[in-house]
Amino acid sequence: MFQNRAEALALALPAAIFAAAVFLVPVVILLSDGFRVPTGGWTISAYTDFFSNSLNQTVFLRTLRLGALVTIASAVIGYAAAFAIVSLEPGAKGKVTGLVVLPLMISPVARTYAWIVILGRTGIVNQAFQALGITEAPLRILFSETAIFIGLLQLFLPLMIISLISALENMPKDAIPAARVLGANWFQVFWKVVLPLTKEGLVVGGTLVFTGSLTAYITPAILGGSKVLMLETLLYQQVAVSNNFVAASVIAFILIVMSFAANILLKRVATARNKQRSQA
Amino acid sequence: MTLRSLFIPITLLLVIAFLIGPFLIIVAASFSAGETLAFPPQGFSLRWIAKVFTVESFRASFGMSLFLAIGGTAAALVLGIPASYALSRYKLPGAEIVRTVVSAPIIVPGIIVGLALLRYIVVPFQVGITLALFLAHTALVLPYAVRVVSASLDNLRSDIEEAAVLLGSSRLGAFFRVVMPNIRGGIMSAFILGFVTSFNQVPVSLFLSGPGVRTLPVDMIAYMEIVFDPSVAALSSLLAFLSIGIVFIAERFLGFSRYV
Repeated sequence: MFQNRAEALALALPAAIFAAAVFLVPVVILLSDGFRVPTGGWTISAYTDFFSNSLNQTVFLRTLRLGALVTIASAVIGYAAAFAIVSLEPGAKGKVTGLVVLPLMISPVARTYAWIVILGRTGIVNQAFQALGITEAPLRILFSETAIFIGLLQLFLPLMIISLISALENMPKDAIPAARVLGANWFQVFWKVVLPLTKEGLVVGGTLVFTGSLTAYITPAILGGSKVLMLETLLYQQVAVSNNFVAASVIAFILIVMSFAANILLKRVATARNKQRSQA
Repeated sequence: MTLRSLFIPITLLLVIAFLIGPFLIIVAASFSAGETLAFPPQGFSLRWIAKVFTVESFRASFGMSLFLAIGGTAAALVLGIPASYALSRYKLPGAEIVRTVVSAPIIVPGIIVGLALLRYIVVPFQVGITLALFLAHTALVLPYAVRVVSASLDNLRSDIEEAAVLLGSSRLGAFFRVVMPNIRGGIMSAFILGFVTSFNQVPVSLFLSGPGVRTLPVDMIAYMEIVFDPSVAALSSLLAFLSIGIVFIAERFLGFSRYV
């Protein structure tokens, strides 16, 4: 450890000042816009206006719903996938993990664009459904909540799987066999042994997936179109189409509050169960 | 075969098909000979791959994205390496505040950062769009630069540079001759992570576009809203192979994944 304070500050301050000037200050001013009265003073009327509009309510609830559904689905699939991967031979494990991580390196635009080919009117799913006689006319899957759900799940599932793989690997090796010997069925093994021992990984993955889904722009923009909006695409429309900067500021604030709340809430859930266990 | 031994291969097959399958479809669609985006592709041709290189706006926006990814990441490292060094080796007053401020851009959604920059930097200070994009991408990459470089500094014992100083080297000389060679892998990894992050970034750049000035992903979204031909698929495949190639080489020579 070096003790020279002036030197330390000289090294650290350029980065801190840069981040503050081009990031922190503009963002804080932007967020305050929604609370300011043009003639001076403060108000929350922009927020009551925002939530009294039924379109905005729909978009807000849809964003929450999609975030929750994508998180739950990725947790369920993530546990299955992480279990399968952890039980592989070391060599195969590395390769399969690589395949899971690979999509993270590919541009989200390319990954989302692929779903147009799959889910579109003449896409693979509709071709298959019609060939099998499940439907007569092509289904409208694109530009719907279902399409956004599928796109977000594909985008963020790798983050959940990776978090759960390391959580499962850190679990004591004999925990599951011990529980089995003592007569627990597989459901009890998961609920009473695996879940408590891996919940930190689940919380990390869940936070990444949930906040990622809330704040994704590309997926709802491409797969939801201009009708099925989420908060991010609504924000974009408010600025680009309506020039409504106050509404944009309100949405920005809501997004940030939701992300932070999710972070804090999920951390609390993890530690609350911990305490229960240590008291018992 | 028991039910349990089937569970593993089937789960893996389904999950990997879901994660990788769409990408393979895009690659296949980009070799189509047909006029519209479709799968299975109609015939085989390289016409859409070739077309990507002739679209004027793609060439311009590719150049812009490349400039931002290289320049922005380099700038973030120039700011981030000294800051990481201060955080890791000095008793820095307000270290937690510095750490929070430099890593904050990762927490706030990109679209908000882009809008804030447009409203409170670009408009009031008459900053050009290119410079604004450069600032935004630098701020965006800074958290990654600090995180990765700090991690490799923390893994390096600090007594070797103290020894160098004791043996008569200046502090600066010790940094460049002793510390830098040892954290080169970390710096390269930070560069690659920053490059990929910046190159694929959309929301930050969404509002920061002017006549002829756009990043490639934003340009691709604009293009696919108007034209429904396989050229975006072709471009997506090319970009994907480019970034997979970069990461593969990085993993091979640097052990990239140790740092990320």
